[in-house]
Amino acid sequence: MLKGKLSLDVTNLDNFEYDMSKCIKCKGCYWVDHIYMPGVTFSTRCPSATRYLFDSYGAYGKMRIGLAMLEGRMDYSDELLKTLYACPLCGACDVGCKRNLDLEIELTLEALRIKAVKDGKGPMPAHKKVAKKIDEKHNRFGSPHENRKKWLTKDIKVAAKADVLYFVGCSAAYTSPEIARATAKILNAAGTPFMLMPDEWCCGNILYSVGMIDEAKKLAKRNVEAVRKTGAKTLLVSCAEGYRMWKVDYPKMLGIPTSELGFEVVHLTEMAAELIKKGALKFAKPLDMRLTYHDSCSLSRLSEPWTPWNGERGEWGMVSPGLERRRGTNGVYQAPRDILEAIPGLELVEMIRMKENAFCCGAGRGTQEAFPDFAAWAAEQRLFEAKAVGAEGIVATCPMCKDNFARVARQNSEDLKIYDISELILAAL
Amino acid sequence: MAISKEAYRVLEAIVGEDYISSDPVVCEGYRSGPAGYEAGLGYERVMTKVPGCVIMPLTTEEVQKIVKVCNRYKIPYVPYSTGWYGPRSHCHVEDELLIDLKRMDDFEIDEKHLYALVGSGVIYSQLQEEAMKRGCYIIVGGGGSQCSAIANMLGDGWSPLSYRIGLPHRRILGTELVLPDGELVRMGSLAVGDDPFWGDGFGPDLRGLLRGFTGLRGCLGIVTRMAIKLLPFQPEKLEPTGISPNTTLQLPPKRVKWINFTMPNKEAMKKAMFEMARAEIGAGATKVPMFWRAIAKASCKEEFWDIWSKENEETISSFHLLRVLLVGFGSEEQLEYEERVLNDIITELGGEARRTRPTDESWFKNADSAGMWLMCGGYVSVDYVIETLEHAIPHGENYAELKRKFTPPLMPDYGDPGWFQSFELGHQGYSEFLVYWDPDVNTDGVDHFYLETSKENIRKRFYTSLLGPHQPLYLTGPAYGPNYHKWLLKIKDEFDPSFLSHPPVPLAHDHFVERAEWMRPMKDWESPKFAP
Repeated sequence: MLKGKLSLDVTNLDNFEYDMSKCIKCKGCYWVDHIYMPGVTFSTRCPSATRYLFDSYGAYGKMRIGLAMLEGRMDYSDELLKTLYACPLCGACDVGCKRNLDLEIELTLEALRIKAVKDGKGPMPAHKKVAKKIDEKHNRFGSPHENRKKWLTKDIKVAAKADVLYFVGCSAAYTSPEIARATAKILNAAGTPFMLMPDEWCCGNILYSVGMIDEAKKLAKRNVEAVRKTGAKTLLVSCAEGYRMWKVDYPKMLGIPTSELGFEVVHLTEMAAELIKKGALKFAKPLDMRLTYHDSCSLSRLSEPWTPWNGERGEWGMVSPGLERRRGTNGVYQAPRDILEAIPGLELVEMIRMKENAFCCGAGRGTQEAFPDFAAWAAEQRLFEAKAVGAEGIVATCPMCKDNFARVARQNSEDLKIYDISELILAAL
Repeated sequence: MAISKEAYRVLEAIVGEDYISSDPVVCEGYRSGPAGYEAGLGYERVMTKVPGCVIMPLTTEEVQKIVKVCNRYKIPYVPYSTGWYGPRSHCHVEDELLIDLKRMDDFEIDEKHLYALVGSGVIYSQLQEEAMKRGCYIIVGGGGSQCSAIANMLGDGWSPLSYRIGLPHRRILGTELVLPDGELVRMGSLAVGDDPFWGDGFGPDLRGLLRGFTGLRGCLGIVTRMAIKLLPFQPEKLEPTGISPNTTLQLPPKRVKWINFTMPNKEAMKKAMFEMARAEIGAGATKVPMFWRAIAKASCKEEFWDIWSKENEETISSFHLLRVLLVGFGSEEQLEYEERVLNDIITELGGEARRTRPTDESWFKNADSAGMWLMCGGYVSVDYVIETLEHAIPHGENYAELKRKFTPPLMPDYGDPGWFQSFELGHQGYSEFLVYWDPDVNTDGVDHFYLETSKENIRKRFYTSLLGPHQPLYLTGPAYGPNYHKWLLKIKDEFDPSFLSHPPVPLAHDHFVERAEWMRPMKDWESPKFAP
């Protein structure tokens, strides 16, 4: 609806008609912020439009296509589903648009996928397979549920009861156990007791991301309730995608603000930066490396807390009551940089596109599963950028980014080291 | 007639299957509206179509081949670099081929002769950064940093920094133009060799044909490469800072400085522009419209309206803010000298310096045109004149009066008389009149205002620079010519006898008035009967 009552409810595409109909094709969603424009190379921040080129793959095209879907002018087709799903929902378009305008691009893209699922056309076949695995085994890999805590080694101390609950997530639990172990050992080293969920399940990131809202919501309810029962004050994650899920998308699905979850959602980088500042974590071993940092989208521009909003749109497109737009300004940008800069011997060199302008690795939000070639291409672009600034390696804060980078580096025999930040913190203690 | 399978296959053979599509989803992505520059109005609804096919060439040679195929199969086509320029840069007829030039992003720079050779896909902010890395700069046109440098150099290409530099005509150097029949014209020094360093060549200067004051919007072929003159700048870096949306360039204080001055009246502001020019100081100068300041202060649409609703006729008519850019091109001492001279001029005229942030958000790398949509969701600069300051200022005042009759649907702006500034060190005066509206109400009045401005220009003898593709040619041609329209159409016919290059430009606005029933009562001029 263009005027009248509306909300930020992503299950109803009508809520975003105004946003779709007000895209002006400035392509702020596509280009790096012009103030930071680095020149003729590394000048875009939308992986989808950079890879597939046609305007239909940029938010400017998708807004027009979405409007046609809403108005019943567009039939589902393979091309339409590819347009909706060959996109990591990385939020670059959202912050780019909101630099000048007040349009909700990210929410619209989520709402379009939810509509595709509701209409029985989405998600992609690969997503359905993952959904089945989550349903049956509670993890996205279809691995045995009983192996979820296999990453735990004897030298890690886990408390039966603590203020901090470490939510490990599927990736760190099954395919990147080095991240889970490093996180746990960092907490042990800092003297921060932590517990684990009695029965941890998948966070449902991929379900929400591909539009399977009913399934995702069930998991959200189950998981939030489970954490509340533990009495934890802080939910710690070492996965950026999980961070966004808990901090933003769970409250979004449950219709509550982030502050009403009943616990604080914290990423390892936030906690570690604080522990370093307090002196609880001290680096003793130098790491003589020149590394660059990759801003994982879900930790950075997509991580601002959620506040539900219901109201009205009136004259000139104004809304009331006032709406605090999530523009990506207050994402977690500095904490990981503070950590890396505090490690003796480590030289942090920034990539050309950084912070809110960072180019997504391409793995998240169902892209890796349905469009692995695209995900690999996006990672290649980022690795190329890391090499262009003379980095020996790249540091991520999300197992999905690390995994994608590592796979592509391996395939291409790249001489680049790929780390999760937890590994570096641990190595320097 | 739809693009035939045979023609599609021939086109596909030129670019490869990944770079052509007639899929309805892909084509819908190239729809002009419903929002954007001049979009959401009758012109956009009546005159634009979704393309029948989209093709993305990589080279000039591919563009030539595509255009030749279009001529062979009688396929209308439109060149498209970023799609920013609203409905007038989109398809106007059914089953049209949209030639998306974004892959043509070749870039070379000649540091010795100070020019950059760019393809149609290169945008201004990219070019500016590359220029600045080498101690040079360009004018990022007010259309925005996201504009294709070539398209904007052909169409408009000015900003407050044009105070010193002027219009882009002479900064367009060697250029390649694919004519509407597919033949290649190499202009300037490219006519005699491969070095595009110079804009003049043998024979008549075809740059005027391409742009005049404001260009012909792709109806005389496709420019695929252009050498653009770079201008010497100062050596220090303009440092980007901040996180979106609060990003800005930190200026080196001893080399680059914006200063805002409150002036007692418009006359003093105009005089200051002349006196600055006479003293040959300054790198940019412009009047600042009040609503630009409100946009800059507001963190969201609602805050803009909180700020704006406190204004009134009195505050607007007494608001005279002059913004001046000083650059120590040669030395820090140059900036110091110019600032002293400027302060003398302003003091003599009764003006006063205001505290001004040592940053640039708007004109070096980030001509922030997208912010113009924050207020209402609909925006177009309905007219510009490029003549003298004596001429430009009354133009804005006149339009402000005319606008009252059309408010609403136009945004209430309390009689704001638009934006004016001087070009070429005072030798030219510029007036641009910006209008805003809510696209979600009946906008017929905006369409009427647009046409009424053409008539007002004729009545009041304002020298509009939008004669060609933005106003009914059979209205403006006889008035400004008396045979301007005939010559323009003869040229079009000579170069594009099949009328395939972006039809029906330059007669698009004539067609619009014929087709839109709410416009017909305004038609009081003679024209031939156009085919539907």
